[in-house]
Amino acid sequence: MIEAQSLTKRYGDKIAVDDISFTIPPGSVTGFLGPNGAGKSTTMRMIMGLDRPTHGSVTVNGKPYAKHLSPLSEVGALLDAKAVYPGRSARSHLRTMAATHGISTRRVDEVIDMTGLSTVATKRVGAFSPGMGQRLGIASAMLGDPRTLILDEPVNGLDPEGVLWVRHLVRQLAAEGRTVFLSSHLMSEMAQTADQLLVIGRGKILTAGPVQEVIDSVSSTSVRVRSPQAAELERLVSRPGVTVSSPEAGTIDLRGTTAEAIGEAAAAHGIVLHELSQQRASLEEAYVSLTQDSVEYRSDVAPTHVKEENS
Amino acid sequence: MTTTLTRPAVKAEQAPRQAVTAHRTFVGVMRGEWIKLLSLRSTWWVLGSTAGVMALIAIGVAASLDGLMANPMTAQGMGQLNGAALVSTGFQIGMVTIAVLGALVITGEYATGMARSTFAAVPTRVPVLAAKAIALVVLTTGVTIVGIGLSYLVTMSKLSQYDLVPALDSAETWRVFAGTAYCLVAAALFSLGIGALLRSTAATVTASLTVLLLLPSILGFINIHWVQTLVRYLPLPASQGFLPAGDPNQNLGSGLTATTGLLVIAAYAIVPLVCAAIVVRRRDA
Repeated sequence: MIEAQSLTKRYGDKIAVDDISFTIPPGSVTGFLGPNGAGKSTTMRMIMGLDRPTHGSVTVNGKPYAKHLSPLSEVGALLDAKAVYPGRSARSHLRTMAATHGISTRRVDEVIDMTGLSTVATKRVGAFSPGMGQRLGIASAMLGDPRTLILDEPVNGLDPEGVLWVRHLVRQLAAEGRTVFLSSHLMSEMAQTADQLLVIGRGKILTAGPVQEVIDSVSSTSVRVRSPQAAELERLVSRPGVTVSSPEAGTIDLRGTTAEAIGEAAAAHGIVLHELSQQRASLEEAYVSLTQDSVEYRSDVAPTHVKEENS
Repeated sequence: MTTTLTRPAVKAEQAPRQAVTAHRTFVGVMRGEWIKLLSLRSTWWVLGSTAGVMALIAIGVAASLDGLMANPMTAQGMGQLNGAALVSTGFQIGMVTIAVLGALVITGEYATGMARSTFAAVPTRVPVLAAKAIALVVLTTGVTIVGIGLSYLVTMSKLSQYDLVPALDSAETWRVFAGTAYCLVAAALFSLGIGALLRSTAATVTASLTVLLLLPSILGFINIHWVQTLVRYLPLPASQGFLPAGDPNQNLGSGLTATTGLLVIAAYAIVPLVCAAIVVRRRDA
């Protein structure tokens, strides 16, 4: 359980996290979604007591992180995969962390096995690939068998097999009753892993709730109809609240109505349909429409505006 | 959704059993710092070169005895020569490597991001600094013993020609050796404190070495009363309050009493560390 109250972080005159409050429940995976620079990492660092909030407070399992007598058993964090000394071996790195809590060397070897690092455990961490660094970060997060896991962009740099492994792992950890809080800037990743979402942009919570609800709230689905009598059908189903657009002749997209209603109307009036399909906004579309006003770094030329010069 | 397929049949409400016993203790934090130090090759390099450099300087000073004796200008001063001080004279250069070690112990963590892992494990932070300080005291004392022992052995034959081999049953000898270790330990802690405050390796090494070694000779040329007073309280001159000069012709003597000298050196070790403890606790990692 993670509870934040009016959490605020200011760096000089730049506000990184702006008065946010949230509760991350145990027993499920909560995705922390937002574009780069939205305040995800800063929030996570404040949860871990690494950065001091300018204002507000945050507790983990009922207490501020630093007040726990055995912090590694309460929270395991992957905040920065490269928060290690490059000259040290993976095993030595884990042993230094374990030693502070009197965690046995057996457990160190356990998390090494669990994360698939056995063959490279004695190699210098500096020579690790990003994926191996990520696995080491997850290994150190698991060291104290914590009740809460905070993972900042855990799948970054992982190969597809590693991505699947992380998904499986966090689902399992949540099923064991743990609190899992993971961040990503990839909506599709979150949709496959998280139960609920906390969407942040420019330091503010934009929306929160179960994954599907968040997606639905920003993207009303539309119904595409292809028909030789499209114009007639359009007249039949149009009423206040229904918007119609026509991407090409004979094809209309309708919002604010359902495929069932259109199909029945068409049948009742003997209108021929060549296509009747539900158009669900893609996850990425939903995400972009959610965060488009709060993207910190934006390219001047949006891809959709690029003209094909060679055609 | 596909993820439900991989979900094991465990009730979400079930409290996770904690299979791993873990308790943060100061002894544990100290063990962690030990493993950190000993698992880095650079630690061994720094310690080895400290002892090596001390021995080399001692050989050099011992070898120059012939020349000093042959020269009537310097031969008169030879009577005041202290064999123990001669043997341990390399500590000034040993300060360089020890100060680098003291700096790296903390700045290495900031430079690599390891500090975030460390402070996540020990969120109260001050125990980390204390454990590092204790580890440095032990390592520096150990390396001083090795360095002086080595210097003693390699200079024995030369010093015996002038009857300067430090007598191991003399309290004076042990006083000098202990004073040498005291200075080196203080140098390590000074660097640690400065390193925790500045966080940058380059800035810390520069600042530490300037104060520890360079300033006395640079400011020595400025013949202004208050500057000279300041110089007397710099670490190296202050150490002369309780350490006889290994080479009487290069006397940095400050005129401080032994007690004042010891206290001044202690202040260099402790004041930056106390400031660091306050700052590190409050600062964003």
